[in-house]
Amino acid sequence: MIKKLKNTIEGSLIKWGFLEKKDDIIPYAFLAPALIILGGILFFPLVYSFVLSFFNWNMTQSGGAEFVFLDNFIKLFGNGAFWHSVRLQVLFVAISVFLELLIGLGVAMLLNHNFAGEHVVRALLLLPVFILPVVSGLTFRFMYDPQYGAINWLIGLFGFNPVPFLSKSTFAFVAIIIQDVWRMWPFMFMILYASLSSLPESPYEAAAISGATKWQVFRHVTLPMLKPSIVIAVILRIVNALKAFSEIYVMTNGGPGDATSIMSIFIYKNAFDFYEMGYSAAASYVLVAIALAFSIYLVKTQFEF
Amino acid sequence: MLFRKSIIFSLTLLMILGSMFLVFGSVSAQDKPYEGTKINVLVWRDAHTKAVKERVSEFEEMTGIDVVIDDLPTQSLTQKMAMNVTTETGKYDLVAVDEPYVPQFAEYFLDYKDWPAPKVMDGKIQLSEIPEGAVTAAAWNNSIKGLPINANAYIMIYRKDLVENKENQKAFKDEYGYELQAPDTLEQLNDMAEFFYNPDEMMYGYAPFTVKSEGATVEAMWLFKSFGVDILDQNLNVVLDVDKAVAALDYYKKILEFGPPSKLSMGHPETIQNVNAGNVFATLQWPAIIAGHENPKESRVAGKLGYPLNPEGPGGRAAITGVWSLTMPKVSENKQAAAEFAYWWGSYESGKELVEAGMSPIRKDLLTDPMLQKDHPWYKSVLANLDKAAVHRPRFPEYMKVSDKVQLYFAKVINNEMEPRKAMTEMKSEIENIIEEYKND
Repeated sequence: MIKKLKNTIEGSLIKWGFLEKKDDIIPYAFLAPALIILGGILFFPLVYSFVLSFFNWNMTQSGGAEFVFLDNFIKLFGNGAFWHSVRLQVLFVAISVFLELLIGLGVAMLLNHNFAGEHVVRALLLLPVFILPVVSGLTFRFMYDPQYGAINWLIGLFGFNPVPFLSKSTFAFVAIIIQDVWRMWPFMFMILYASLSSLPESPYEAAAISGATKWQVFRHVTLPMLKPSIVIAVILRIVNALKAFSEIYVMTNGGPGDATSIMSIFIYKNAFDFYEMGYSAAASYVLVAIALAFSIYLVKTQFEF
Repeated sequence: MLFRKSIIFSLTLLMILGSMFLVFGSVSAQDKPYEGTKINVLVWRDAHTKAVKERVSEFEEMTGIDVVIDDLPTQSLTQKMAMNVTTETGKYDLVAVDEPYVPQFAEYFLDYKDWPAPKVMDGKIQLSEIPEGAVTAAAWNNSIKGLPINANAYIMIYRKDLVENKENQKAFKDEYGYELQAPDTLEQLNDMAEFFYNPDEMMYGYAPFTVKSEGATVEAMWLFKSFGVDILDQNLNVVLDVDKAVAALDYYKKILEFGPPSKLSMGHPETIQNVNAGNVFATLQWPAIIAGHENPKESRVAGKLGYPLNPEGPGGRAAITGVWSLTMPKVSENKQAAAEFAYWWGSYESGKELVEAGMSPIRKDLLTDPMLQKDHPWYKSVLANLDKAAVHRPRFPEYMKVSDKVQLYFAKVINNEMEPRKAMTEMKSEIENIIEEYKND
């Protein structure tokens, strides 16, 4: 009976082109529950939110959702606040990731030799990356406080007036970048240090014989060999930085005014303050498109296939 | 023989005990007509609801209703309410709604006039027992959508001890030419903020509320209304008077000079810290938080604060209300039991006990109770402000979009990033767009 059922299913799958004749259905049957659950968890929200982006749906109104096709996207592209959030997002990602790369690479180069206590130093340097973004954001918010914050206390020791880090637009934007760089540069360090440690010795020996200076070695030997790792690290960080939300939410809530209202804050505000679910789903997909565009561009231009 | 007697005796005893159990059991069942009923209640989290949670066992004991209270911070509460109420899950039998959200969710709530009459409690809470300024907070489209449950008004608090100090009085009169007293006008408030401002001693004149949040909208609305500025009229026309709004912002920028170093990003934690440490002369505050200022375990200024009517500006006095109402979703399956709980919460008898545990009452008879006023000196001000100065935030379903614009331009002005006139003109134009879009939808 079971064998008959197996043969019937196998026959259908072969007929529909899902299975080669030589394949056995059993391994797929074992994988099926996991794939179904994974599909449900991973793809359902993606598909659902994509479909939602074509509907006008205010969650608090009982009228239900109305199919508007591309209206949400058209409205979005005509919204100055949205473009402002895109600009801030691009700046935030570009500056943070660049600084993190610079610091991560620099520290990896510095620590790329044996010294006493290297394991402890390496482990300690990695600590910030394990801190929850929301905890990091709250801690920085208190540290930046002009009246009770540690940073302004230090500034005060040098006789300067307190700096309102989170209440002036430019300061606030710099403040969220500093927080992000502090928390995430060890991520860059981790990848680049691992890559540096495994580089072959022979190119360095050849460079030494040729009389190359340290800068020339770095520029023409180390950097090209590190390039694939740098690209991977940058892609991962860009995708991660595009999703930055909780730390900025607790630090500034997008303020002062809209000075730190990056895309995730814009999306959150539209979804959970205004309950415009279709509109915020459309904005989310623009964010996805930006992340994909960045990644594809980097992979295409930096890797040779 | 003896064995048989023992058995008869035991059986008789069992019968007597059984009958007693049945008799008393049925009495108990009569006393607790809701035995086995469970209601779910979603409320905000502060001293008020903490007090209710502490005393809810008394209600459960009395009625047999099992009350499950979920308390959440305001922002999360609104989101949870939106998820549950609009999808009509029926999970919650009572939901606390902050005033500005009433129009947005009104269609999902049962009108208060249709709430069931109680079986255990004495009667429905009469809305005449609540200050009118608070009742209108629960109103939408000519009906009352729930039972207002706390008298929340944004009221002025100041350091009475500093004002009553003879040396201060003399020095102030010498400098400003009039008696030092509770600030009665915005100009007086500004003078006093300047007089007491002494940053070297960590003493500041006025603690503003400026951090990006609904609190900043409330601060801005208070300021605007005190200068006679309305944003919307009853028919949803934008009536913002740019000239008056500019005057209001000019005043605010002046008084901000006497604020603490964190004056441009102050929220509740910063204000509470400054007031409790005795670092500010005056601020505006919500009653539930005032209870903490008057608690000697938490505050250095307990017993030293005064509560006048909110100072009068060119447009009169303004006290922005933030009244919470208990609403009943139409899909609730336990309306009767939920109503009993709401009536218990709103009754005079339980209110008197809940006040001791930290609740901010809404009933006139509690707010005017001389004994309660003695221990809670701000009650008189809450009532007076609700009677004479209550101002509601614009009421329409998409209020949050208007609030967002107010926060945006208020911040730009106080941060000196935009001229007040330009900011108010742009704000007006953006609010007009929101209203137009809302009307077209």
